[in-house]
Amino acid sequence: MLENRKKILLVDDDRMVLQLFSHALTNEGFQCFPADSVKEAILILANEIPDIILSDYLMPDQDGFDFRKYVLLDKRLKNIPFVFLTSYTDRKLMQQGLDMQAVDYIDKITPVPLVISKLNNILHTISKEHEKSIYEIRAAAEALNLRSVPAEPPRLDGYFLNFLYKSFEDYPGGDFIDFITIDDKYTFIILGDVMGKKWGAWFFSFNFLSYIRSAIRLCVFDENFSTSSILHKINKVILMDPVLSDVLSTLTLLMLEHETGELHYSGAGDLPLVLFSANENELVAVQSAGLLLGVMQDGLYDEKTVTLNKGDQLLVVSDGMIEFSRKDGGKKSDYDLFFSQMKSYLGHENSFNLIKDVTFSAERSKELIDDCSLIFLQKN
Amino acid sequence: MNRIMIETVQHSNYLEVKLLISEANLDIAEQFKSEMLQLLNRGNNYIIVNFQNVIYVDSSFLGALVSVLKHAMGKKGDLAVAELNKDIGNLFNLIRMNKVFKVYNSIPDVFA
Repeated sequence: MLENRKKILLVDDDRMVLQLFSHALTNEGFQCFPADSVKEAILILANEIPDIILSDYLMPDQDGFDFRKYVLLDKRLKNIPFVFLTSYTDRKLMQQGLDMQAVDYIDKITPVPLVISKLNNILHTISKEHEKSIYEIRAAAEALNLRSVPAEPPRLDGYFLNFLYKSFEDYPGGDFIDFITIDDKYTFIILGDVMGKKWGAWFFSFNFLSYIRSAIRLCVFDENFSTSSILHKINKVILMDPVLSDVLSTLTLLMLEHETGELHYSGAGDLPLVLFSANENELVAVQSAGLLLGVMQDGLYDEKTVTLNKGDQLLVVSDGMIEFSRKDGGKKSDYDLFFSQMKSYLGHENSFNLIKDVTFSAERSKELIDDCSLIFLQKN
Repeated sequence: MNRIMIETVQHSNYLEVKLLISEANLDIAEQFKSEMLQLLNRGNNYIIVNFQNVIYVDSSFLGALVSVLKHAMGKKGDLAVAELNKDIGNLFNLIRMNKVFKVYNSIPDVFA
């Protein structure tokens, strides 16, 4: 489980010290990246973002302060806790280090177990602070009734409708889901994904949702239930909005006619729907032609119609669902792999729970690299 | 100072921007966008991004790419992509990015 280990970058020109700490920290469960110069440390940082940096102060060529300055200038790196490790006990220099927002100073003569405890304490405090901040923002968002995902799915006679949602590293993200039922006759199903992750995407997801909800309501007032025409309108408004001009979103828009089982579908840069036909006992992908919202005036939005019969099941997913780990530890997007996995889970009475147990298991959640959303619809 | 992420090669009627990273994701999306906007502002209205070294692209990076395209179009220019690997090529087709960007299999002599 290399991925869950805390990464530490160790920088010291004294190879003995480097080896000693690398060995001790690896034994304590850290993943160590040793560097015997600032130059080498910078090379490592090009590919790795450590959880904490432990750096010597006195080094030839560039010293620890130069390194600290480098780290502070890089947006990706400046918030990584930085600890100076040194045998130098000049108080003036210690003060200088702390003035450069180093979180601590550790003397090299400190016994190794104590150094490890200190590092663990720093990481623990930071993670607690982080959790607290997220909790506070979440609480504020809930107090304002800002939700990008509903608390519950609507109950529809003759259908089973539900959804799964897991945010990336438990931050609210760019995925949004909504259901709008009109007169118990029609239900609009919405799944979108604002491109980006974490707070930025989350914030913009409300703007998109507001436009989408308004467009649907206004079109319904005019007795226009066409999903492609709704998408055209949403796209036009978004292109005119200066705040959203640089923000892009995918959207899957479905309109279900309860009585007939007719499902109208238009998509904007979204992934194909997965449709299980009970009669044929087969899975098909239903793809739309439309482009991402906010890219071009003519978003090429088309409208597909499928009729759901008894036992038919439908999946709508966001791109987090098709991301998998590669053998070399990297990531890949693979819709075909997702589609073939779904063959085992669709077509059963408990399909929704099967998918939930597998793709939203605690184990799988650890591998998540993006928000994951899935909407499941079945005609009973 | 940021890490070096792109390398540029001037061709007859366009600038090639070669990505030097293997994972094009959220961590580098913002830096990529700002470097590309600088290139556009220096008058490079036609740019082809070479994905030869890239194994994986996430939606944040795609967002940055589309955003740069919109700026290029605002300058009456264009942005294309080249040398997508199989997975990225499939993803482009799947979410219709191939209709948003010109996709070249290999770096062309001219941007056409």
